[in-house]
Amino acid sequence: MAVSGALSRRTHVRRKAPRAFLRRLFRRQKPQLRLETGGDLLVHLNCLLFVHRLAEESRMNAFENKDGVIKKEHVQAAAKVILKKSRG
Amino acid sequence: MADTYNSDGEPTTRTLLRRVLDTADTRTPRRRRSARVGVQKARLEMPLSSPTKMNVSRRSQRARSIDRLARVQTSGHLDEQTPRTLLKNILLTAPESSIMMPESVVKPVPTPQVVQSSRRKSSQGSLELQLPELEPPTTLALGLLAPGRRKQRLRLSAFQQGVDQALPLSQEPHGNANASSLTSSLNLTFATPLQPQSVQRPGLARRPPTHRAVDVGAFLQDLRDTSLVSPGDSLRTPVATVPMDTVLEDTQPFSQPLVGRSPSVYHSLPCLSHTEAEDAERAVSHRTQSSGPKLQNYNPGKQAQLLARKAKNIDALAMSFPNKSSAISGEDGVDLLQDGIDEEAEERMEENLSVSKVMDTTGTQGSIRTENSKGYREMTEAVETNEPKGSSEDEDISDRRASPELASNTTQFPQARRPQFLEPAPPSSTAVLSSEPLSTRLPPRARAPGSRPRQDPHKTGLSHYVKFFSFCAKMPMDKKAVETVEKCLDRYFQHLCDDLEAFAAHAGRKTVRPEDLELLMRRQGLVNDQVSLHVLVERHLPLEYRQLLIPCAFSGNSVFPAQ
Repeated sequence: MAVSGALSRRTHVRRKAPRAFLRRLFRRQKPQLRLETGGDLLVHLNCLLFVHRLAEESRMNAFENKDGVIKKEHVQAAAKVILKKSRG
Repeated sequence: MADTYNSDGEPTTRTLLRRVLDTADTRTPRRRRSARVGVQKARLEMPLSSPTKMNVSRRSQRARSIDRLARVQTSGHLDEQTPRTLLKNILLTAPESSIMMPESVVKPVPTPQVVQSSRRKSSQGSLELQLPELEPPTTLALGLLAPGRRKQRLRLSAFQQGVDQALPLSQEPHGNANASSLTSSLNLTFATPLQPQSVQRPGLARRPPTHRAVDVGAFLQDLRDTSLVSPGDSLRTPVATVPMDTVLEDTQPFSQPLVGRSPSVYHSLPCLSHTEAEDAERAVSHRTQSSGPKLQNYNPGKQAQLLARKAKNIDALAMSFPNKSSAISGEDGVDLLQDGIDEEAEERMEENLSVSKVMDTTGTQGSIRTENSKGYREMTEAVETNEPKGSSEDEDISDRRASPELASNTTQFPQARRPQFLEPAPPSSTAVLSSEPLSTRLPPRARAPGSRPRQDPHKTGLSHYVKFFSFCAKMPMDKKAVETVEKCLDRYFQHLCDDLEAFAAHAGRKTVRPEDLELLMRRQGLVNDQVSLHVLVERHLPLEYRQLLIPCAFSGNSVFPAQ
């Protein structure tokens, strides 16, 4: 019954999360910890939101410098701010 | 011609006969016979020519309707012994369904000769035409009276025999036009073997695709010819044979026709490759001549080793590349070098040497020399700076990034370009090279294959988020900006793992649960009282993941995922 809601094999997820990659990362970093099934999806969500914020901030920095291209300095400045925010 | 006629009347033999019976005048059979025969000739010849082109269903419908009409009319003529009455009797007695069956089409085929003979007779007499005309319907009726299933297979085989017999006969003109058209039309409907077509038109026969063995010489020639066309594409070719597990995403389509090479390695690099390729070219122009002859001395053995070396080669090249680019733009180079560690520099040096062997045999010596000189420079400078930072990841990342460009360089600088590279590098580098070859050759072999898979999947996974970044930014980005983004992502992942560990430990668990993730997002400020986690999940994740994460009630008093 509940399986009907779960992913069937044939469905193609359009925006796939790199679940194996995330799990491997986590295992590399913290081999003593274990990650649950739904956990890596939430990690993916977290990453998406982080990248989203980073991109927004970099874009704003580039606009402020009246640059049409995002440069390394913009990204670095944005990263400083956003990483500080997502420290938790 | 036949189609237009048929579309009007849907003539089977039966229906046409009926029509003839209905329309023809009954009063003067003798006088009208010629006319009737003429009409019948024309009409009967047509349907036989294309019974197969008609749909069975249409035929059946029309036949049924015409049959019913005809029965009413023909009942009055039974007393006369005219061909008309004979026809009617036959039509009445034969079961109606017989004509509807598609096998009815088959029946005329086994008797094409009979029909032909009838055709010949028709030229002679008037009445005679009608009787042979009756034969096909009679045979049809008789054949189909029997149970159908057993006959179907027989009919098919008989049909094919008939087709084969009819084929040579179908060549005969005119008098056999009907039979030939019948058989040929039947040929069209049934699946004909490929052989006849090819026999008739040899040009249309399908040839099996020819698989040519890979010609290495031609391949290298192609590389030389199209060296600078697309560095991104060419980088696939030399590494094509390297057995790589990961299929890295690649956005650039193939522009070069590869000779049977299946590109197994795709490096998901953004435009990094192009600028770094330019850097590499510039770097290559300052090559060491002395390193060249030294490298030529090395001759490793087998292709498999070569390919393994290639993998390491790309590694080593990748390492040396950022240093090379730094040589051109000094400040960045210093930064990169400061990130380096001595051990890593040595390892790279060894890898460079092993790689140099490989590159030798493959004929891409220029790039080898570049990497050698680069590796040496990196070593020396790393020793000088002597600041081991924990940011080995950054270097690895830059290595990985540079690796595809190095591969592209290897292809771009084939043997033909060797003379360009014979420029003196710092002589000390060659001295170092010459002194260290044997000692450093063996150890990298054990280490290098392990390091390569560690980095590339990492890059591949990160590229997913880098692409998402460039999508969100909606602006063009620098290559260095992309590198910075990757560095940021790495640092972010580290922070993430640390936080999750802290949260799990705080809860006394060794497993990270989704509650820990929610707590993390709450602390980050993404989730607050106004915005819940479920809202974020619904916004950003595709439906399939949402179903896995958010508990939803299903029928039968069940909730998935279970709470």
